Amino acid sequence: MAEIFDSLATTLVDTFKEATFVLPELIVLIAALIAPLVFYLTKNGKIVAAVSFALIAVSALVTMLLMHTVTYGVAASMFEFDAFSSLMMLLFMAVAFLTIMVSPCHVETTKHAGEYYALICAIVAGMMFAASAANLLAIFISVEVVSISSYALVALKKNDPRASEAAVKYLIIGAFSTALTLFGMSMIFGVTGTLDIAEISAIVPTMAANWAFIVGCIGMIAGYGFKIAAVPFHSWAPDVYEGASTPVSGFLATASKKMGFAVLFKIFFALFIIGSTGVFTLEFQYVFAIIAAITMTVGNVVAISQSNIKRMLAYSSVAQAGYIMIALAVMSQYATTGALFHMFTHVVMKGGAFIIVAALITAGLGEKIEDYKGLAKRAPLVAAAMMLFLFSLAGIPPLAGFTSKFVLFSGAIFVNGAVSMQWMWLALIAVLNSAISLYYYARVVKAMYIEKPACEDKVSVPKPFMVAILLCVIGVIVLGVYPEYLIDLCSKAATALWLL
Amino acid sequence: MDIPILSLLVIIPLIGALATLFMGGQRAEKAKYVAVAFSAIVLALALYVTFVGYNNMADLADLKESYVWFKAAGLQMNIIFAIDGLSILMVLLTAILVFLVVIFSWHEEDKPNYYHALLLAMEVGLMGVYMAQDFFLFYIMWEVTLIPMYFMISWYGGPRRHYSAIKFFIYTHVASVIMLIGIFAVVFQTQIGAEYISFAFEAVRNGATLAPAFQTFFFGLLFFGFAVKMPVPPFHTWLPDAHVEAPTGGSVLLAGVMLKMGSYGIIRVCLDSAIFPDAMAFWQPIMIGLGIFAMVYGAYACIAQNDLKKMVAYSSISHMGMVLVGMGCNSVIGIEFAIFQMFAHGIISGVLFMVCGIAGHNFGTRDMRLLGGLAGKFPVYALFMMFGFMASLGLPGLMGFIAEFGLLFGLWEYLVSQGLEVLIVFGLLDMMLTAGYYLWAMQKTLFGKLTDKIDLTHCHDIAKNEVAVLAVLCALIALFGIWPTLALDFVMPFAGAF
Repeated sequence: MAEIFDSLATTLVDTFKEATFVLPELIVLIAALIAPLVFYLTKNGKIVAAVSFALIAVSALVTMLLMHTVTYGVAASMFEFDAFSSLMMLLFMAVAFLTIMVSPCHVETTKHAGEYYALICAIVAGMMFAASAANLLAIFISVEVVSISSYALVALKKNDPRASEAAVKYLIIGAFSTALTLFGMSMIFGVTGTLDIAEISAIVPTMAANWAFIVGCIGMIAGYGFKIAAVPFHSWAPDVYEGASTPVSGFLATASKKMGFAVLFKIFFALFIIGSTGVFTLEFQYVFAIIAAITMTVGNVVAISQSNIKRMLAYSSVAQAGYIMIALAVMSQYATTGALFHMFTHVVMKGGAFIIVAALITAGLGEKIEDYKGLAKRAPLVAAAMMLFLFSLAGIPPLAGFTSKFVLFSGAIFVNGAVSMQWMWLALIAVLNSAISLYYYARVVKAMYIEKPACEDKVSVPKPFMVAILLCVIGVIVLGVYPEYLIDLCSKAATALWLL
Repeated sequence: MDIPILSLLVIIPLIGALATLFMGGQRAEKAKYVAVAFSAIVLALALYVTFVGYNNMADLADLKESYVWFKAAGLQMNIIFAIDGLSILMVLLTAILVFLVVIFSWHEEDKPNYYHALLLAMEVGLMGVYMAQDFFLFYIMWEVTLIPMYFMISWYGGPRRHYSAIKFFIYTHVASVIMLIGIFAVVFQTQIGAEYISFAFEAVRNGATLAPAFQTFFFGLLFFGFAVKMPVPPFHTWLPDAHVEAPTGGSVLLAGVMLKMGSYGIIRVCLDSAIFPDAMAFWQPIMIGLGIFAMVYGAYACIAQNDLKKMVAYSSISHMGMVLVGMGCNSVIGIEFAIFQMFAHGIISGVLFMVCGIAGHNFGTRDMRLLGGLAGKFPVYALFMMFGFMASLGLPGLMGFIAEFGLLFGLWEYLVSQGLEVLIVFGLLDMMLTAGYYLWAMQKTLFGKLTDKIDLTHCHDIAKNEVAVLAVLCALIALFGIWPTLALDFVMPFAGAF
């Protein structure tokens, strides 16, 4: 078996030469380009969905093949295919799968199916490029592909004033963050004279402290801080998630943030760690730690007062971003492993929750928490799945969210081979936040299971939703009970980040 | 031993919980038969382990099952179950109480399948906590007990159940996550440099020695996590709410075995001299002080209660305070009788909460101001109530007396060594207060003129299944009161090491 895989991988490399290492991205890009064409020819949204789905599946298989045979390499000295980028690509494609699976059931997609799937595929391709980019310029362009496509995707529901408002807000704030990022990158370029991340990381330790470098870093933190919705750059997230159609919100909340983190990890670990004696490392670690602490606290505290479930999930996403930022503060491989692992579990639990919200909207339920009253009687399986996702988000064992938080939070305590008191406060804030979050998750569970329903009618959920929900349920349980394989992959990915 | 009997103690209730969970609709009525079968098997296994497996075993390590769960990113999680002198009584207690609670709740009519699923799910977590020998597994099992109890209170509880359930859930969860930080620090610090950091107790005990200041700090975090569960005042406020609102079966398990998780954790982890050899220098006086405070405060608060069940809830705080005192002594006698008291209180509080529950559903109220003179009309009920109260206040010849006697002796020993003999006054004060509130409660509810404040004409005496359960528990109380070494012999090999 192993030989077949090896020979397949060799054939790929022989055929496509260097382009093998961007092959997964290219396949998804092709999907983005032909989706409108297919729609023009067939006028059937489901066929477009099937085509995009199939091409992404091919891309995922290629990625897994290359990963499995450890065929890593660099394309055009700009895009590096390694353990880290391949893992992130799989994550983005997994989210795309779930999104595409449930999209045909959603009303807005019928008229604009061509654009819809093209945009989804373009976003995924952009994210994949961003994860593998080894050059600031390449990162910037890939992220822009994602951003611009996302604005359009949010605005696709154009007859809904809430969606238009969300899109405009997203666009303006996004443009601002792009400007900040570009400004920061130009400063870094000015100081180091190169855009290649590996070269920058070699130059940084030799530099004397200078203000241009600091301003550059701050620009990039702020710019990508918008992407990951870190406080104080988070204000767009709840409005956009509320306004966009729910599968899109789920897609943005789970995938687009992860891209922000992939990019932040790449840039900042290179700047501060790999050169071993980076300038201002400790100062920036504290900047990240404080942002992380504030982000998780604000996210959780504000989530408590939300009555719209999409907004609640949006704020809970903000909080989760705070948890993942622990890795940026601690800057250790172990914490990064935890962060990557948490990103994956976040996909299944938050993605699953959004899919359920989308499914229930399709089935005619509202978006308010009170609309979920008595759901356990009206749709027992969906309610049980929702309970699993919410308890997993709150970090209740033995679900996925617990296991990933376990690794992530212990990363703040176990730093570079010893127990460190330096980030103990951050770990304490994180676990307390996690405990607070139980309050608002349990409120939804209470509404579903304990309160009386307003009407007793059964809620029927379309089949594709049930399949997607089932996949997420399996993910939440398997990643919680048997996470060995995934943690191992995350650990390898974190190591790859350090090798650059 | 070829059959993984310890794993079965966890797996069987899990299967039972899933089986009853899915018995919806018409079959819900049958769920109790499934539940009684599964809990009976668990009880049989527990009895087998106690009287055959354990006794005949010269080397206790044979009662141990060990598997590697997963190894990744430098971490190694294990599934290790073992039974020693500390866990054996707790395992037995859990098996006995769950079985008896299932029988006691025979006539539960509101969603009986879920009710029994929750009971069995709780048994999974409890068995897991009492047998786990790996911190990761221990913590998971510790948290697994929360969710069934949350639903137990909020589905089957009293009028303020929503508030109490969520308060219980979040309060104890906050404590658990703080404990988790302590677990992280202790596990990682003891195994610096290991290729795989194992969360097994064994690995932590054999690992590097911790610096004294480090020990003191993280002992504190772990102790906090355990103390909230016990609960030790001032972190006890979730308990009266949870107990008063929980259904009788839930209260029995909550007081009988879930509170013991706290004291079990303290003995298992905090008092382990291989992990924390120096921390007790700082924490011993605090533990003794908190224990004495809990004892007296709990008893004092009981006097002020009008609700029978709330009084019993506060008496739990008082009795668990005694356990804390025993653990604080950190001596052979202290530990031995702390464990015995955990066992004794588990059984006695079962009787007490059942008696209170019966008052609630037979007479319609648990308010002592409304009850009175029940002994004449309901002699069987009165008998069990008196028996339970007497056992709890420490009547010689019953189980509670042995435990309290031993614990006060341990306290005296400690106080003498510190030259603080005068503080034993608090112990005596507690005895007096305890006798006071129980006798007063009996006087108000059982004796005197039959109450005319509530209508008792249609009330019946207790049902047959309730009589059976109470009789078994009372027999156990008497048995261990007369023959305490039956239980103490199991404890001695463990406590003797202190």
